[in-house]
Amino acid sequence: MSPAALWRRLGDRRATVASLLVLIALWLLLTQLDLVDDLFLPGPALLWDGFTDLVENGYRNRTIWEHAGLSLERVLAGFGTGAVAGTLLGLGMGYNRKVEAIFSPLVEFFRPLPQLAYLVLLIVWFGIDETPQIILLFLTALPVSAIAAMDGVKSVSLQRVQAARALGASEWQVFCHVIFPSALHEIFTGARLAIGVVYATLIAAEIIAGSTGLGWMILDAGRFLRSDYVFVGIIVIGLMGLLLDRLLLAVEHRVVHWAGKD
Amino acid sequence: MSDEAGGSKRWQAILGDVRWLSLLSVLSVLVAWYLVTAFALVPAVLLPGPAEVFATFLDILRNGYRETTLWENSAATLWRCGAGFVLALLTGVPLGLAMGQSPLIRAACDYIIQFMRPLPPLSYLILLILWLGTGDTSKIALLYLTAFPIVAASAMAGVRATKQQRVQAARALGATEWQIFRHVIFPSALPLIFTGARIALAAAFSTVVAAELMAATDGLGWMVFSASRFLRNDVIIVGIIVLGVLGMLLNRLVLLLDGAVIHWRGVE
Repeated sequence: MSPAALWRRLGDRRATVASLLVLIALWLLLTQLDLVDDLFLPGPALLWDGFTDLVENGYRNRTIWEHAGLSLERVLAGFGTGAVAGTLLGLGMGYNRKVEAIFSPLVEFFRPLPQLAYLVLLIVWFGIDETPQIILLFLTALPVSAIAAMDGVKSVSLQRVQAARALGASEWQVFCHVIFPSALHEIFTGARLAIGVVYATLIAAEIIAGSTGLGWMILDAGRFLRSDYVFVGIIVIGLMGLLLDRLLLAVEHRVVHWAGKD
Repeated sequence: MSDEAGGSKRWQAILGDVRWLSLLSVLSVLVAWYLVTAFALVPAVLLPGPAEVFATFLDILRNGYRETTLWENSAATLWRCGAGFVLALLTGVPLGLAMGQSPLIRAACDYIIQFMRPLPPLSYLILLILWLGTGDTSKIALLYLTAFPIVAASAMAGVRATKQQRVQAARALGATEWQIFRHVIFPSALPLIFTGARIALAAAFSTVVAAELMAATDGLGWMVFSASRFLRNDVIIVGIIVLGVLGMLLNRLVLLLDGAVIHWRGVE
């Protein structure tokens, strides 16, 4: 296929390619002509050197993958426990008005509360190791998942519940076979929201009070004005965030294959 | 007899009202907090009692914490958050609307927004500090960048969710493109824009506190962080409660505006 034909086939994506090219050209122009200091915006060669250096030699005794692994472990531990507990709580809150009344003030208070505000209290209580960070992420994921699961249960169509009941299903059967599957789509939406918030919170927590992990790495590199490391770190952080989201989306498509087919 | 039955029914109605359970749940948390501190189950340094925290609240309201009052710190936090958020609204909504209308603009900008959205804001705060210094500029820029992709994406989704029948009906009745946009597409997109604004404001509020923990000399985040260094847990708890209440109020404020502006939400 000739380049011209390929260009035509791109359609609207031509604008994507063009805008990407403009950005890259601007970056090259600014860095290669020394219009800005390398300190503020490292050029491609510098960035690549920084990346290979981080992969081969690492930063402070750990390679970038090890830092990424530590961050990932924390995210999964906090998100896993918080999302499961929050979903169970939310299912209960959606199913029973009394459970909702008891827990909703706490959930409503915790949800808009900036997570980092209670990190300092957790650090004073539990010391600066993994524990306060995992508890922080648990408390971050819990209200997000709880509200999503509650909304999911509440939006189950009443006809289905009544149909199942009319056919003689027990309360437990109604819950397991009608309410839970119907709420699953919203539970997953909540989980994707939660993992995004948990991830952002973890990076912030590592920046403010960490000694390992990607967040800490870019903060420490920033202190020593190693902006090449900072840029590489931000790109890895961004890609990992994207990956986590896509992973959950893939799981959702496998599990909730009936979504949108009502 | 009938009186007694009426009385017990009334009691049942009162007890059956689930709002009492909410009140009871808040009260039991407070009582548990009081008991734990009254019996000194944990050291008072780690968890000060409710009375002590309330006294601290009054104290920093009147006299301030390290020369800045609670009002000044709250105002500093809200100012940064509000400035970044409003700038994001002023630029993000038009861009999002344009992206929804024109496939070309969408193709040119969407990938940037999709990459920025999941990126934790604090990660690029370091760059912003490097570029713009440690003052308010870098923080407002951070909050702008936090809110911008959320607002733009929701405005775009709003435009794209407009029912084609409505657009076609308006066109058939002879509306110009501008009239269609002004009277059909924009009102249809507004509910999603408001939802996006609410999410963006919550994200900006979380982020401003994190940014103040990292590099600031005033604001509620700074107050909490500084208090943690001096083991002033009473000040930390006051800060957390004030932040929680402010967060709830901000959310309510947008919901209130939403209700006042979009009277057509859910009335299809």
